[in-house]
Amino acid sequence: MKEINDLNLPDNLKYTDDHEWADTSGDVVTIGINDYAQDQLGEIVFVELPEVGDTFSKGDEFGSVESVKAVSEIYIPISGEVVGINEDLEDAPELVNESCYEGGWLIKVKPEDTAELDGLMDKAAYLAMLKG
Amino acid sequence: MPAGINNLKRSAVFIDLKTMDYGRALSLQAQTVQSKIKDQYIADHIFFVEHPCVFTLGKRGGKENLIVSNDFLTSKQIDIIRTDRGGNITYHGPGQAVLYPIVDLEKNKIGVKDFVHGLEEIMKLTALDFGVKADRDQRNHGLWVGDSKLGSVGISIKKGVSFHGLAMNIFPDLTPFSWINPCGLSNVTMTSIKKERSPYTQKKDPCESTNNFSMAIVKQKFLTHFSSIFNFTIVEKNKSKYNA
Repeated sequence: MKEINDLNLPDNLKYTDDHEWADTSGDVVTIGINDYAQDQLGEIVFVELPEVGDTFSKGDEFGSVESVKAVSEIYIPISGEVVGINEDLEDAPELVNESCYEGGWLIKVKPEDTAELDGLMDKAAYLAMLKG
Repeated sequence: MPAGINNLKRSAVFIDLKTMDYGRALSLQAQTVQSKIKDQYIADHIFFVEHPCVFTLGKRGGKENLIVSNDFLTSKQIDIIRTDRGGNITYHGPGQAVLYPIVDLEKNKIGVKDFVHGLEEIMKLTALDFGVKADRDQRNHGLWVGDSKLGSVGISIKKGVSFHGLAMNIFPDLTPFSWINPCGLSNVTMTSIKKERSPYTQKKDPCESTNNFSMAIVKQKFLTHFSSIFNFTIVEKNKSKYNA
């Protein structure tokens, strides 16, 4: 596994204790799994995503990521409606390993309560949690 | 110790469930996972079990790799159970040693790929203890002797806690494996420790003993290797609470 100091954690993103990232810069929040998660899962062979229009409450399981011989649930960090899913992952799940913040994004969510965004961690807080 | 398994002090409870239906063992795993998610101080558990005959499917299925009819399976009184583990179709039955580690990988700082690798290593070392040289293969995870598969791995992770695990063929009747493409691979044959054991080995043959005695040895090997590979202190507890 990568050392914590070697992780790629962009400054402009927010992070969760389930090792996801969220781009909260627009009206719609883009969500994916971060460099720590993709590294410790290993080669990802399948990504199960919800459908556009599905709604979730914060903390709900919204899909799963299957690395070789292991299925890991993924959890939504904010409540809201899914307004986009990354359809490229159906044929190219490896994008999550190769480009977790760009080509490997998972879903786009319209937040139900923007106050929940305040509960997400910035890079410094996430790193502090990892070093725990 | 695979890279990424650090030296944190870890501990787990080990329970020998003896023979237990697949569905019942699955419920037990689910209950244990939920308990651990609710209370992170509940101990990691490692269940050792043999199942009566059953086919299980992975999260993404695998029924297309069943090459006999449902009627045939019904006539043999063998169920097919869909699960949420990784991997494809597989078979469990008497004579196969199964290990289900319910371990908080997040808290123990064990990466998923390292955990899968470590489970394969447990089987590899156990096979070696019985005089059988087995290894990984590029084609598929699990443990192989040449072109024959000796053991399989498939896990799920919920909130950082693992369940499902490994299955290693010690002395099962291998016939039911011929009714599927194991793990979704065609032209794969399965093997067992009993089948592979060299007649020239100096070690006492566990397969010549009673089944219970043989599985007792395998259990001890799994426990020892799990402990050393993942750096766990393991305490074996009585199964009575878990069979209630």
